[in-house]
Amino acid sequence: MYELTEKILKESVKYFQNFFIHEYYKKSFLHFVDVRIKFLTALIFVMLAVTTFNFEKVLFLLFSILAIAKAAGIDIKNLIRRSYLFPAFSFIVLIPTNLSYAAIFSLRVFTAIIILQLLVITTPFNEICAALRYFKFPRSLVESMWISYRYILSLFFDLLTTLIARESRRVSKIGYLDVWKKGGKAVGTFFLKSIEKSEKVELAILARGKAVWKKDWKIKSNDLVFLAIVAFVVFWWWLI
Amino acid sequence: MHIPDGFLDLYIATTMFLLSFIVVGISILKVKAIPQKFGIIAAAIFVAQMLDWPIPGGTSAHFMGGSLAGILLGPYAGCLAMTTVLLIQTLVFADGGLTAIGANVWNMAVVNVFLGYWIYKGFERFNRKLAAFLAGWLGVTAAAIFCGIEIGLSKYFVYGLTITVPIMAIWHAVLGIVEGTITASVASVVKPVEVVQSKTSIALIATLIALTPLFAYAAELVGYREPLDFVADKLELEGEMIYKGIIPEYTIPGLDPYFSALISAIIGTFVVFSIVKLCMNLQKKYSKSL
Repeated sequence: MYELTEKILKESVKYFQNFFIHEYYKKSFLHFVDVRIKFLTALIFVMLAVTTFNFEKVLFLLFSILAIAKAAGIDIKNLIRRSYLFPAFSFIVLIPTNLSYAAIFSLRVFTAIIILQLLVITTPFNEICAALRYFKFPRSLVESMWISYRYILSLFFDLLTTLIARESRRVSKIGYLDVWKKGGKAVGTFFLKSIEKSEKVELAILARGKAVWKKDWKIKSNDLVFLAIVAFVVFWWWLI
Repeated sequence: MHIPDGFLDLYIATTMFLLSFIVVGISILKVKAIPQKFGIIAAAIFVAQMLDWPIPGGTSAHFMGGSLAGILLGPYAGCLAMTTVLLIQTLVFADGGLTAIGANVWNMAVVNVFLGYWIYKGFERFNRKLAAFLAGWLGVTAAAIFCGIEIGLSKYFVYGLTITVPIMAIWHAVLGIVEGTITASVASVVKPVEVVQSKTSIALIATLIALTPLFAYAAELVGYREPLDFVADKLELEGEMIYKGIIPEYTIPGLDPYFSALISAIIGTFVVFSIVKLCMNLQKKYSKSL
């Protein structure tokens, strides 16, 4: 159990670092662009990245996105650090086939991940949920996403508390088999607690009234500037 | 197992999106009354995925939770809980691609959840722990096989089915033992909910799962050649088109063929929905006037 708790504590540190990085990231021009436009732009850019194997097109798109990010004040190093791992893995896997194919394939994946990371870094999750509702995503699914997001941290602390309480009652060193058995029971207890919590939260939400997705959907000058930049990039991608 | 953008061509991505759309749609209809509850369970599954379980030799593994979600919540709510987890992973952590979201939901929120649940139900009467172990183990292995099929059929990925499917299946069959053990451990402590299911929905979802490889293969065929064109070529026939259509051969001049096929699909879907909506409105109006 000791090893399990220690691993969880280590993971939790990494997890919180990842989790809050976009919440407390300094505000940039992209933060003030309408989330609906950002969402659709991300989708269009991802499509442009994945539908071509033309090296020039992909490179142009990648540099355009990095230029937009840099101009908006996003830390490029951080953006690349968050995106390089999977493309690097893809590149290694594909090297035996053909070097140029491996390079262009991985570059496409890298560009697509950078686009998604840029959306994630510059958009609070409640705004993404509001945009999904605007695009007529089912209410129950969006509500479920929003509630899950809000309670992830709380449930994480519940899990830690459960594990620390169990660990504090342990008096001797235990083997792998016991770690697995007691770990299973700990996770089982955690799920029981989460079911209890869900009932309480559901009652509280019903008492207060359900979440309402209201947002002032007005296109501002920031949005128009961003749209012009996007149109420019799409046009040149098409011309190349 | 989260497929990022760039691995799947748009034919496979769109097919998987449509298949997932059907099953998630059915699930939403079945559990629309309890979104708050499964929202928190989804968060619990998300958090439980953070647990690293020690394996002798200094390494560790974490579990996916699809089968467990199916066992604890029932297949429909389990499917929605896993869909929620996957959407958050994509939109908050950029884990999994936007264009691949349909395939990821299909593998981890449909195949893993429904298959896991059915395996559990099939073996529950013999031994609950064994049933949960088999559900976790085979559920995750099946999800990996489907993932291998999708990537293997994709024209963008150079390795074919003969490489992608065995690699995904073998590795996940080994890792699936961990998944099965965790699922069995948790299922022995928590009592699953009782779910009443409609036989039609079960049959539909089971058929869709069974036919997925065929759908994916058929989607690729659309990308290559129409069967009738193929036959016409074989017979050395030549024809002249009477009407070329608004978007001939699903292509828009100047656009990439995949991109224009997608746009054609969106336009087509919009037109079909509009016609259906119009017919429904007319029918409503007509029945009122009667």
